[in-house]
Amino acid sequence: MYRTMILAALLACACNAFGATRMIDVGTQAPSFDLPVFGKKGSHIALSDLRGKVVLLDFWASWCGPCRQSFPLYEKLRAEMPARDFTLLAINLDEMADGPTAFLEENPVGYTSLADPAGDVARQFGLIGMPSSFVIDRDGVVRARHTGFKPQDVDALRKEIVDLIGNRDAK
Amino acid sequence: MLNDFFNGKMLRAATVLILFASLGGCATTPVQPWERGRLARWDMRWDPDPLQAAMNDHTHFSKEGSNGHIGAAGGGCGCN
Repeated sequence: MYRTMILAALLACACNAFGATRMIDVGTQAPSFDLPVFGKKGSHIALSDLRGKVVLLDFWASWCGPCRQSFPLYEKLRAEMPARDFTLLAINLDEMADGPTAFLEENPVGYTSLADPAGDVARQFGLIGMPSSFVIDRDGVVRARHTGFKPQDVDALRKEIVDLIGNRDAK
Repeated sequence: MLNDFFNGKMLRAATVLILFASLGGCATTPVQPWERGRLARWDMRWDPDPLQAAMNDHTHFSKEGSNGHIGAAGGGCGCN
C-alpha cells in the first residue's frame, strides 16, 4: 500500500513539473476572448469580431526588451498588408497601466492593443515566453505560433500571412 | 508509544506524511512568462547601478590582483 502511495505522490510531482504550461497547438481553434481596448474605456474587441480576416495576435509587455524591438517592425508589416484581409491585434499583459502607456507613447503604432492584466488570455494560449505571436486564419484556427522575437522572424510571419490571405480564393 | 513509533507503522506513516508534505512543494505554481514584470524591474538586478558595480569591481580586482574575476577576458595577472 505504501509503495502505491509513494508512486502516486511521485507521479503527482512529475505532473506538476511537466504540466505547467502547454502552448496551444497549430491547427486548433484559437481560444475565444473579448478584451477591453487598452486606453479606450468602454471599447472591447472579441476575436470572433475578426472572423473572415487573417489575424496576427501579438502578446507583449512594456518590460519586455524584444517587444520594444518588435513594435516598429510589426507596424511596417501591418502597413504592407491589405486592411480588409488582415488585422494585427496586440494584447498587453502588464499588470499596471502606466508602463504600457509610456511604452505606446515612445513606440506609436497604428494597431490596437487590448488589455489582459490578469493574463487570462495568455494562459488560454499557453504562452511559454515573451513576446509570443500567433497567426490565426479567417476561420479562427491557429496556423503558426512564435515565441520570442528577432527581426528576421518578421520574414517568416510575412510569408505565413501572405499565404493565408492568398488562400481565400482557393476556398 | 515511543517503541511503537520506532519499530512500526507510525514511523512508516510519518515517512510517507513527510514525503507528501515535501512533494507539495513541487505544486507551487511557477511564475508565468507574463508575470515577470516585477522581476524585470531595474531595481531587481543584482547590481542596479552599473557605475557603482564597475567601481566596486575595479576596486576589487585592483586589490586582489584578480583581473577577470567576474568573467571578463584576462588571465588574472593584474597587469592591465
